[in-house]
Parts: sequence; structure tokens; C-alpha cells
Amino acid sequence: MRQIKRMLRMHKIFVAQELKRMMEYKGDFIVGIIGFLFAQCTNMLFLWIIFRQIPSLMGWTLNQVVFIYGFSLIPKGIDHLLFDNLWAIGHWTVRKGDFDKYLTRPVNTLFHVMVERLQIDALGELIMGIALICITLPSVAIQWSLLKILLIIAVIPFATLIYTGIKIATAAIAFWTKRSGNITFMFYMVNDFAKYPVSIYNNAVRFIITYIIPFAFTAYYPAEYILTGNNPLFNIGLTIVISLILMVIGIFVWNKGIRAYESAGS
Amino acid sequence: MKKKFRIYMPFVNAGMQETTTYRANWIFLMIGNVLGCFVSYFIWKAVFISGNNENMNGFTMPQMVVYIFLMFLTSTLISSGGTYDIGEEIRDGSIAMRIIKPISYNSTFLFQELGNKFMTVCILIVPLVVGVEAVRCIFTGSVQFNIFNFLMYILSCVFAYLINFFFNICFGFIAFIIKYLWGANMMKNCIVGFLSGATIPLSFLPDTLERVFLILPFASLNYTPVMIYMGMYSGVSMIYYLALQLFWVLTFWGLSKLLWNVSIKHLTVQGG
Amino acid sequence: MIYVENLRKEFKKTIKEPGVLGSFKSLFHPKTEKIVAVNDISFNVPEGEILGFIGPNGAGKSTVIKMLTGILTPTSGKCTINGRNPNENRKSYVKEIGVVFGQRTQLWWDLPLRETYAVLKEIYEVPDDKYHKRMAFLNEILDLEKFITSPVRTLSLGQRMRADIAASLLHSPKVLFLDEPTIGLDVVVKDNIRNAVDYINKQEKTTVILTTHDLADIELLAKRIVMIDKGSNVFDGTISELKSKYGQIRELHFDTDTENVKDILSYKEHFDFNDEDITVETEGSSVKVRFNSEAVPVSDMLSYTLGKINIKDISVKDADIEEIIRRLYKQGV
Repeated sequence: MRQIKRMLRMHKIFVAQELKRMMEYKGDFIVGIIGFLFAQCTNMLFLWIIFRQIPSLMGWTLNQVVFIYGFSLIPKGIDHLLFDNLWAIGHWTVRKGDFDKYLTRPVNTLFHVMVERLQIDALGELIMGIALICITLPSVAIQWSLLKILLIIAVIPFATLIYTGIKIATAAIAFWTKRSGNITFMFYMVNDFAKYPVSIYNNAVRFIITYIIPFAFTAYYPAEYILTGNNPLFNIGLTIVISLILMVIGIFVWNKGIRAYESAGS
Repeated sequence: MKKKFRIYMPFVNAGMQETTTYRANWIFLMIGNVLGCFVSYFIWKAVFISGNNENMNGFTMPQMVVYIFLMFLTSTLISSGGTYDIGEEIRDGSIAMRIIKPISYNSTFLFQELGNKFMTVCILIVPLVVGVEAVRCIFTGSVQFNIFNFLMYILSCVFAYLINFFFNICFGFIAFIIKYLWGANMMKNCIVGFLSGATIPLSFLPDTLERVFLILPFASLNYTPVMIYMGMYSGVSMIYYLALQLFWVLTFWGLSKLLWNVSIKHLTVQGG
Repeated sequence: MIYVENLRKEFKKTIKEPGVLGSFKSLFHPKTEKIVAVNDISFNVPEGEILGFIGPNGAGKSTVIKMLTGILTPTSGKCTINGRNPNENRKSYVKEIGVVFGQRTQLWWDLPLRETYAVLKEIYEVPDDKYHKRMAFLNEILDLEKFITSPVRTLSLGQRMRADIAASLLHSPKVLFLDEPTIGLDVVVKDNIRNAVDYINKQEKTTVILTTHDLADIELLAKRIVMIDKGSNVFDGTISELKSKYGQIRELHFDTDTENVKDILSYKEHFDFNDEDITVETEGSSVKVRFNSEAVPVSDMLSYTLGKINIKDISVKDADIEEIIRRLYKQGV
């Protein structure tokens, strides 16, 4: 309990520091947020152009596809906002030997790394995700119930942890290889599959994004449950189970990696 | 000329070494990009299944597959990282150091990148071209490979690379205004991706937009080489688009020189 | 306080092959080779001592420090600090140590300096009252006041180093590791830092391990030195022991109006010195002769010199530590 209290307190301190930093570089943060908004806008443009040619994408309407896309941005954006410092580990922190710093501090290294930075750019994704959901919500005809609302709220943090777990595990590979940013990147490209309805993929891809690199649980499956109300046990339950498994794997790989860390000659 | 080239050889070598040092990293980058291609592939497949036409805006499904993978190959061939390097130097002030170096810094950078690129080309071009040709062969029942188009494609890629190289250097100067290059670069990449046809073939756009986009320098980056390879530009139109590329190469080369001179003045006046 | 026994660390290193073909080969089949960075090092440091830890570049100093601070795990061997193993229970271990790597900073780059201390206070769980007292104390000895509100990225190297040392001392560590804390600093800042380290050591009985290339640091601060080269112990003892062991070097300084002293004196031929046992430098009228007093006693040198030429002023000195170390590095022992 005391541990958790301390962690929360530290998280608060770090967030406060980041907000102060933000105030020093206001312009940069606006550029970052707009950058990410733009990235999503071009994707929307792409969908809109495609749907000018076809009435529906294998039975999915434009609104439904956009809704799934919008939902996919929420867990992704939260993870991006809170735990983005993990990218730096794989790209340069370990390679340049700057990881030493974390090892000389009396704080769990993983926790320290995760909460040290706040990536405000992610607001671009979150804003866009929320906007897309709001715009499409009236036209996708969802049957609401209290249970459904509760499940949706509950599933978002777990969907976020799928990203976080994969990021931890792939970042930790840098402890052996010095550089693993692109492994994380590779996994992130897989996550693009999850932004669209899984029914457009063949069985092999469907299997991979469900069971091997389970990004489909960050977006499509929970969104499908919201849209149709089908299979809560699979769509929501498995999301939770898988996210926990991935976090355990991530932490395990991280701890192994710390022991293999070789620093850098100076 | 020969002597000049020899000065830069070590940089070519360094570029190649760089690729090998972090080889696993490089391989994963490529795998990640190929996965991105597959996402596009499946979306287009679904689109073609959902639509009633065999042919959409001049593209059949096999042609679309070829388009997607050629786009990936072309983007990789012509990619250039000048923006960050210039931007970083502007930020930490080391751009002033360029003045006192006896060799052109732009060229050293160019050659280092070419070394890097050489590895990429050797590894990617054969499997991708063979794969693309196999797809075309299976769907049409005959070998489609046209050596002339292929050579023109390579030439067009060289132009496209130079446009990209100088364009990125010009863009790097934005660091004088925007400190957070990463965000600016992200925005740039999205816009360029869209305008250059990397996101969607330009022929899918409304006519007027398409016509405007084709003249803009961005279509000269990815779209022109790919269209040449696919045999969609031939004869006069091929010459027209190649000439347009050359025009943009010269324009951005001139612009980068101009920006460089302006920034040097800016530096000497401000004292770094 | 610190016991190091047979410490060893090996790294794997990829070998680059030259040429285009080599680049391709190592893209798919990287060759690796084992490098022994630290090979069987042992020493210990009693509580409250300042130990100078020296050696040429690439000798393995930083690797040893990184093992002692728990950053690296030794391949074999043991180190015990304050009764604990750095690799076990890392979190509570590092609370008892302070670390400064001169080449890196642990300060928050974009924020005013005092924010770094506010965060470190939380990280090390320093209570409020202790924190204020400590900050006042550090302020006094390291003179942080002037730049504590400036963003770290705007600090000069000297200010940054003082700030970094203060950061490592905030939680009153029992052991302080300083890896090249005076690198690239001017004389005044160096003095300030040396005084601060000396003061902390005397006041709080802090044990200090100090690596440096500036031997003045060692002479002014350390009573004892451990020298390593190529990953192995070369010397372990006090500075006076070092001097008496390797320091039979004496320096003869004198002024003369005689010209061509070198030829007239020709020490080498007269006493049959080995090459490395004698050097003669002249600058105007002053002459500096450095010689091994084991080969030829000081008295013989003196009487020979005085008999040969006309001397105005003469003195004999012990060689300074720098000279000894230079000889040791060169010989590789």
C-alpha cells in the first residue's frame, strides 16, 4: 500500500514537471498536437475517397468503419500520452548509455522510465478519436445498457495496457541489442491492421492479430461489442486477459534485460 | 572529378557500416514497412470486392497490388533524412561549423546516405521487383517486365531522390522558426504522403485536384516513378513528367542554396 | 567499507569487416569477439577514505565504477559496499550511494535547476526539514544560489558539474562515486569542487572513490591510490608509497652561465645511464635534469655537476606524482 502511494506521488511529481516543461515550449506542443491531428486527417480523407467508390466495405458502412477507427485511437492515445518514454529506451537511451541514470536511483526502473515523460502530442490522437466517435455515434445505432457502458469504461485501460505491454517488451530488447526502436515500430505497424474491421482480412492475418500480436483487442473487438453487443465474453473478457498476459511478459523481459544491460563505454 | 569523388568515398563506406552495425534494427524497419503494405493490400482487396467494377479509376486489383508494393520500394529508395540533421544543427548552433569545413557538408551527407541506400537497394530491389513481376505474370498470364520502363523507373527514382534530398534540407531550415522538428516533420510526412500518392493513387481524386497535384513537386517524388514502371506513362507523357522532375530538382537545389546563404547571413549577423 | 575481490567483466563485441563485401557479411553473419574489460581487480577502501582510482584511457575504470554502483553485473568476482552486494536489492542499495559521471548529467535538462532537486527529493524520499537543511548546506559549499533558477541547459559546464555533485549528495550518501568530476573545468571551479569533496569527506565521513585524469585532484584529495591498466591492478598504496616505490626519480634544477651544458656534462656517458633513467632539459640559463637516483646517488650527481661547470643556484626535488604516473603509463608495468 505504501508502495502504491509512493508511486502515485511520484507520478504526480513527474506530471507536474512535464507540465512546467510544456509551458516553456508552448509552440512545440501545439505543433506536435497538430501534427498528429493531421496524420489522422489524411487517413480519414483516404477512407472518405474510398467510400466514394463503394457503398460499403464488405458490409461495413463508412460510419461504422470510422467509429472503429476512432475507438482505436483512444487506447493508443492514452498509452502514447502517458508511457511514450519507452520509445526513447529502444531508440537511444540504452545505446548512448543514458540508462545508467535510472539504475542509480532508488526507484523501480520500469516505473521511472514509464512516468518520466508526458507526450502531449498524443492529444492530437485523443481529440481526433473522441471527435470521430461523437460524429459517428448518432448514425451507428447502438443499443445502450448500463452494463455495456460499464464494460466499455472498464475495457479502455486494459486495451491501453496491450500497447504498453508490447512496448515494454520490445523496448527491453534494446538491453541486449542496444537498439530496438524499430522492433517496436514493426509491432506498431501490425496495429494498423486493428484499425479496420477484421472481417476484411484473410484467416492468417486474423489469427495473427487476434492471438499472436493481439492488437485486434485494442480496437476492433471492443468496438465490435459496442456496435453489436455480441460476445462480451470474447470481445471484452479476452481483452482484459490478454492485456494482463502482455504486461506480465513485458515486465518479465524487462527484468531479464536489466541484468544483461551493458551500459556504454565513456 | 575523380579526386573529388575519392574524398567522399569514406562517407559512402561509413553509411554502409551504419546499416550493418544496427542490422537487426534495419531489418525490422523494413518488415514493419512491408506489414504496412499488407494493411493497404487487404483494404484494397476489400474495396475491390465491395465495388462492382473490375477497374477503378484506371486500376485493376492486380495493378493495385503492384502499385502498393512499388510505392513501398520507391519510398524506401528515395527517402532522405536531411531534415533532422539540418534541424539539429540549427538548434544546437553547430551549423556555424559548416562554414569552416573544407568540403561541402551537403555532399558528405549525400554520400553517406548513398552508402546507406546502396545496401538497401541491393537487398530490396531484387525480391520486390521479382515479386511484383510474379504477381503481374500470374494475373495476366504473360511476362509484363519491360526493361525500358524499368531503366526509366531507375532514372526517375534518382530524380525523385534528389528532389527529396533538397526538399528535406529546405524543410530543415524550418527549425529557425519551429523548435519541435519532430512534430513539424510528422505533419510534413502526412501531407507529402497524401500529395505524392503514397496513401492513395492520385487518379482516385476529383479531376481538378488530380490535375493540380500532378504538377506539384510531391507527385514527382513517388507517383511519377511508379507510374513509369507500371507503363501508365509512355511516350510524350513520360518525357513530360521526367522533365517536370528535373525542373523540381533544380528548383529545390536552388532554394536550398538560397536558404543556406540567408541562414549564414543570419548566423554571422546574430553571432550564432 | 568497500571490498572488491577478483572482479571481472567481459563484453561481447561485434567485429566489423572492411569493404562492401564485409558490410554485407556482417549484415547477416555478425562475428563477435570477447573483450575482457576488467580482469581480476581487488582492493578495499576503509570508511571515510578518499580513494584515487586512476589509469590510462580504456583501462577499465568506468567499468569498475559501474559494477560498484550496480549498473553492471560482474561476470565473476565480488564487490561488497557497506556490507551489501550492489546487484541485490538495488533500490535500497542506491539510497546509500551518490554517483556523478562527469560526462553525463542526471539533471532535468529543460527545467530550472531547483526542479531537479525537488524531484530528487521525492525519488530519494528526503523529508522536508532535512531537505531544506541539506539544500542550504549544499548551497553553501557549492555556491548554487546564482543559477538555481536557470534552466539546466543554459548552465556552463562548471555550474552544471557543481549542480550534478549537489544532486548526488542530496540524500546524504555514505559512499560517493565521482567519475571524472573535474573534466574540462577551469582552475577555479576545480578548486571549488575539490574543496567541496574534501569538506564533505571530513564533515560526514563520506567514503569517496574518485577517478580522474587530473593528478592534482588525486594529490590534493586522495591519501591512497589504486591504479589499473588493461583491466588489471597495477598499483595499490598511498601516494608516498608510490613515490618511494617508483619514485627514485629526482630532479636537479640549476642556473648556469656555461654554454653547451649538455655536451660538457654528458651524464649519460659519464655514469653509464640507461636511456629512460635520465633526461636533460635546458631553457635559457636554467637546466632541469631528471634522473634515477637508484642508478646514481644524488650526492654523486651533485659533486660531478658542481665540479664540471659554473653554477649559480641549485636545488634537488622529488619528482612529482605526475611524472611517476607518466612513466608507469608508458611502461605499462
